[in-house]
Amino acid sequence: MSGESPLMILADETEQINPAILLAEALMRRDAADLLSAEDIDRAEKTLQVGRMEIETIERQLSVFVRSPASPSLNIPTGF
Amino acid sequence: MSLRSGSAVLFSEQFGERLLKSLEYLSFKSRSHNAVAAHDYVSSVISEQEKYALYRELFPEEWSRSLASFYRRGHFVKYSERANELFRLVNEKCFPLLDYWYDDPDSELENFAIGPLNIGLCCEEIYFENLYLSYAAGLIFYFPDDAWDFLNYRFQVSASDFPAIKSSPHPSVWDRDGSLFGHLLRLIDHSTGNPWLDSDCCQMADWYVFNRETIEELSKEYKDALAAFEKLKELDATIEADPKKMLSALIDFWNYGKLPRDTHLTPTKGAKLNEEERKHL
Repeated sequence: MSGESPLMILADETEQINPAILLAEALMRRDAADLLSAEDIDRAEKTLQVGRMEIETIERQLSVFVRSPASPSLNIPTGF
Repeated sequence: MSLRSGSAVLFSEQFGERLLKSLEYLSFKSRSHNAVAAHDYVSSVISEQEKYALYRELFPEEWSRSLASFYRRGHFVKYSERANELFRLVNEKCFPLLDYWYDDPDSELENFAIGPLNIGLCCEEIYFENLYLSYAAGLIFYFPDDAWDFLNYRFQVSASDFPAIKSSPHPSVWDRDGSLFGHLLRLIDHSTGNPWLDSDCCQMADWYVFNRETIEELSKEYKDALAAFEKLKELDATIEADPKKMLSALIDFWNYGKLPRDTHLTPTKGAKLNEEERKHL
């Protein structure tokens, strides 16, 4: 364990948009009647796999984060 | 005071507008940047694209004529009208895809099960009068009381007119030697190797992936299954013509694996044959 708080670990993670979102947007803009080629479908399936892995990773992180013990904040919100 | 009041109103209006804009933006982001929703959307696009490719390959003429929408949802709401059209075509031209468990419009057909064509002997009530005659006759080995009742009603024959039936068949009855008796027993035993004939309502259904290979294979097997029942007509005619002789031969086959020497058995006295059957004698 690095001794960092769960929040710090999360904040240090690389941020990126899930590739499924980018692909969904691209697919949404195209005409459904223009059929995808076998290569397109293959690429889309690979993207889906990466997207699914990312979702699973985030769900795991969320689950661990929720279970992590509470710690006092250094900043006291106004009004408290 | 009025100035302050005016700027407060302006601020309030601007704030309200910005708030609405923010809500609109958040709502947009929650829709378009939801990875799970995007994942589901991409999956559904891929699935439909695969259906379209399959449609074009299997039914090119229908595809070129089709006016079904790619966007409007069809009966199965997870698919477009165009994809639904493919399901209907498979159902009409290949095999009964939609007959059994697909009344629910929310169903997905990525994987599907097929309904049995054979008689469910494990739990269904058997209506002998609706069966092929030979099939009903073959049931003397499995449901002797009911089968003999039926045969007695049809031909005035009873179990006591024939040799005793052994509790289990001779192993050679399962040899695939092309005999009609073997064919009949495999059909009744649900051991033909054809999924349409070997499945029944009491066992876990096999699931098939909706792709070209499966559709072609199941189409072929469906035709074979229909032909398997059609083949019984030949046996039905011989039983009809000479029930005693044919039932004796069938029991002999079950007990000893022996086939009658002649395919077209010599009729016993009083047997009724039609013209076609007489030609073979």
